[in-house]
Amino acid sequence: MIFGVISIIAAIFTSCIESKKIGEKGGAQLWAENCQRCHNTPSPASFSHEQWKTIGLHMQTRAQLTDKERDKIIDFLSQ
Amino acid sequence: MKPKIKIGSRLIAIGAVLLLANTAKAQQSSADSALLGRVAALEQQVADQKPGESHFMVAGLATFGYVSNKTTFTTPGAAGQIAKANSFGDADHYELSPMLMWRHSNNLLVEFEPSFDGNTIGVNWANISYFAAPGLVIHAGYFVVPFGIYNKKLAAGWIDKLAGDPNGFDAPGTDFGIGFSGGFPLGDMKWSYDVSLTNGLQLLPDGEIQNAGIVDNNKGKMISGRISLLPLSNSSLEIGVSGLHSNAGDAGSNFTSANVTMYGADINFVKTFNPLLVNVKGQYNRIEVSRQTYASTTDGPDYTFSNVSSAAFAQASIRPTGIDNGFLKNIEIAYRYSNYATPTGSSWGQKSHENDLGVDYWLSWRTVLKFTYSMSHALSTANVDQGGTPGTTDVKAIYLQFSVEF
Repeated sequence: MIFGVISIIAAIFTSCIESKKIGEKGGAQLWAENCQRCHNTPSPASFSHEQWKTIGLHMQTRAQLTDKERDKIIDFLSQ
Repeated sequence: MKPKIKIGSRLIAIGAVLLLANTAKAQQSSADSALLGRVAALEQQVADQKPGESHFMVAGLATFGYVSNKTTFTTPGAAGQIAKANSFGDADHYELSPMLMWRHSNNLLVEFEPSFDGNTIGVNWANISYFAAPGLVIHAGYFVVPFGIYNKKLAAGWIDKLAGDPNGFDAPGTDFGIGFSGGFPLGDMKWSYDVSLTNGLQLLPDGEIQNAGIVDNNKGKMISGRISLLPLSNSSLEIGVSGLHSNAGDAGSNFTSANVTMYGADINFVKTFNPLLVNVKGQYNRIEVSRQTYASTTDGPDYTFSNVSSAAFAQASIRPTGIDNGFLKNIEIAYRYSNYATPTGSSWGQKSHENDLGVDYWLSWRTVLKFTYSMSHALSTANVDQGGTPGTTDVKAIYLQFSVEF
């Protein structure tokens, strides 16, 4: 039983690999797709780079963004 | 003698030139020194501005508005009683919540959000998040318990399309504990988890559930979590399921063995079908409390009932973001249906439903002016022997609400 559960969990985690299509998404696309699931897409001009980095951490806890998604979105918003 | 004079004059002239040159050199050196000093000062200013890893900022939100409502109480065999009221921001529709965020490092975030809701000053959350590894964020402190999507993601005034909250979605609220969350890619899809271990809920003497609070009332703890899947590669659709189990009785009380189990399911779909941005959201909650015997508050015998509650909402909105008209593209039309049923036979039982229709004007991406018309109908299913009043309650309300995120 325990072995079965561990095997399932291990199978889930080892299969957590993004496809090439997902990996090639840029920050702008991720910004548009993820932010608007809950609220309007934020204007990059609203905050500074340092502020976006802090907000990015906050939003990762709310939207369960991956680290890569968070970093790409912050880079886009900081331009 | 004349040649000697000439030589002397030349020597004097040369000396004068050398003196002037040295003076100029000294002045130049002084200028260079001043310049270097200025550069050093500027470098220090730049160094002072270097952000480092630590960063503090204030965000948050403010919501206020006006509500006018008409309530009609109808009891069997009697004419309806009508009550009218109007006021600026009541506790359910007013909020000022500055959110303080400290990014201690790139792996540690501290958040604190006090809130003034018109009557009291409370705390929405105060917790630390440690970004331990890709796909693993560890939370500790006082935070919104992960269950469904409304409380944690959609309830903020500048996010919610309608002025009020759907009934029945207060639980499980906010609690002290520890939690883990993260998101992972799964080929073209994505999935996420959000789980927590906290103090837990409290069963009140009449069978109602007190939202997770500050005082831990027993040794048992509450485990809660949500798992979601985003099956489409553009992340436009999210489907989530939630579960919760908590010991709920006060230690040493008649409810020592009482526990609460909650189930939930939610859906969130947002996609642009040019020129319309279509937004569909919904959630279903079910709360089951283990069978208990409750003491009568009317000097009658003890009583019991099936303590099961359920709540659901379905919401849709459209906004023509793809058109050129600068005024119309900021208008969003939203509709929400919600229902809420509390236990028949309890002293607080009722079946209710509500329709909300809203027209919003977005002044910016985070500033909205909302007009909402709300109609609700509730039928009492309360135990008359325990003080319940049979009849119906109909409420029609108009809200004008402004909300901004800062």
